[in-house]
Amino acid sequence: MYGGGNTFEGIKTDSLAQEDPIKLAEFEARIERGEKIEPTDWMPQLYRKQLIRMIEQHAHSEIIGALPEGTWITRAPGFKRKLSLMAKVQDEVGHGQLLYSAAETLGKSREEMINDLISGKSKYSNIFNYPAFTWADSCFISWLVDAGAIVNQLANAKGSYGPYCRALDRICAEESFHLKYGHHCVIYLATGTKKQREMFQEALNRWWAPMMHFFGPSDKISAHTEVLMKWKVKMSSNDDMRNQFLDMYVPKIWELGFTIPDPNLKKNTETGRWEYTEPDWEEFKRVINGDGPCNKERLEVRRIAEERGRWVREALKAPKATYVTPLA
Amino acid sequence: MNSLDPRVKRLPVIGQPGQIEPKAPLDQFGTFEVFVQPKEGKPFQHEGIVHAPNLEMAFVLAKEAFTRRFMCVSIYVVDTRHVYTSPMTEGNVSVFGFIHETPAQAGEKISYEIYQLIKRGKQHIHAGTVQAVSPQEAMSEAKKVFSTDNKVIYNLWAIRTSDIRFTKPEEQELWLTLPEKKFRDASAYKAGDKLTEFLDKQKN
Repeated sequence: MYGGGNTFEGIKTDSLAQEDPIKLAEFEARIERGEKIEPTDWMPQLYRKQLIRMIEQHAHSEIIGALPEGTWITRAPGFKRKLSLMAKVQDEVGHGQLLYSAAETLGKSREEMINDLISGKSKYSNIFNYPAFTWADSCFISWLVDAGAIVNQLANAKGSYGPYCRALDRICAEESFHLKYGHHCVIYLATGTKKQREMFQEALNRWWAPMMHFFGPSDKISAHTEVLMKWKVKMSSNDDMRNQFLDMYVPKIWELGFTIPDPNLKKNTETGRWEYTEPDWEEFKRVINGDGPCNKERLEVRRIAEERGRWVREALKAPKATYVTPLA
Repeated sequence: MNSLDPRVKRLPVIGQPGQIEPKAPLDQFGTFEVFVQPKEGKPFQHEGIVHAPNLEMAFVLAKEAFTRRFMCVSIYVVDTRHVYTSPMTEGNVSVFGFIHETPAQAGEKISYEIYQLIKRGKQHIHAGTVQAVSPQEAMSEAKKVFSTDNKVIYNLWAIRTSDIRFTKPEEQELWLTLPEKKFRDASAYKAGDKLTEFLDKQKN
């Protein structure tokens, strides 16, 4: 599971003025009661648009997220690790499929979504624009990036859109394996040789900044999302999710004797919140807009896969097929 | 391409980087609805969709997408276009109020699988099979058979049984391999002892 730190467009709530006020009130009352919205129900345009954007980004993150770890399948240390990593990467691609399907119920076709990914128009989780130098990097991803994504996804699974929630329930159930597998890998490195410990420490140093970026910009500077929170599209603020992640995983990292590369990181015992050096949000913006170490490679790999698979898809195409929106 | 990954390095350069021909509509094929039977004796339930060029491929992809880990005894698939749907209701309004009795129609009766939505937000669940001449009549038959216990039903689907690609008896063993795939389970990754030993050593 890889979604996290979704970027939302600045919202112009005046677009709501064009919606039917009675229907809008019924829609909001339904969400307030904790009921799910289904594809055939009335919904405001803004809700539809933001959900498509969010679910699509999540789906892209699963597909692109399979790349940095996938690179270690052929070089995994031993047959068991290879088998597990292959199963995990297959899960991630499978999750991408489930999420694309959920987004399709809102009216955007899969072809359009893939076009937007490859052309660079759609975003995906920023963290996958960084390279996995060593096996320890792939262990960091399996354990901690997945852990971060679980924090985000467990929150979103309580959201208001039925098909997305059902996809997330399925995804979350599969994730418990990823997290345990990742932790298992890291424990083996941590309790291994000096060299193995160093390898993980170096991976931790490389990935900590992207990990802090993962949950998205600080609440102080992120686009305001009140209406998305009210509609249960966004379920938790970026800072709350970051704090929850730190609460759950910093002690586990410290327990293994590793050093987190932020001298200011500590829990404020009075507020119960974690304090840390403010992440470099300029870098975050720069990378998400295309200038990260691996942005070009990630999209290029997808583009080549797309081009090389084209003749297969054309050969299989059923001449009488027509597209209808999936049901649920 | 310049990459840390030797496999990516070896990829052929196709066309100009960044330049792509957009996908045409239906490049990813049409959709098929997937239904899974979790246990012997339990009803089938809707699980989601797959994109596939035909029914047979949809069956194969559905197995890959929906039964990698969860135990199930059978799955089936049907083209999304072959699912007839009723309106959707909410609150305590049952969909049966919107389904009217159809006048007797001439023609051969065939069987339809009926799915109902018992709880909004959950999956559609198989209710049973009815015999009818048309999908409309199947809905009306469903009302006669399944609306007896005053339970609120929010949505109905009718699917011609002959449109479904079922699991064949000789394919049943497809699911037998699942219990052996321990490496897909969280329970296969126990490192507690190793961790405890490590922590004890740190203390001393």
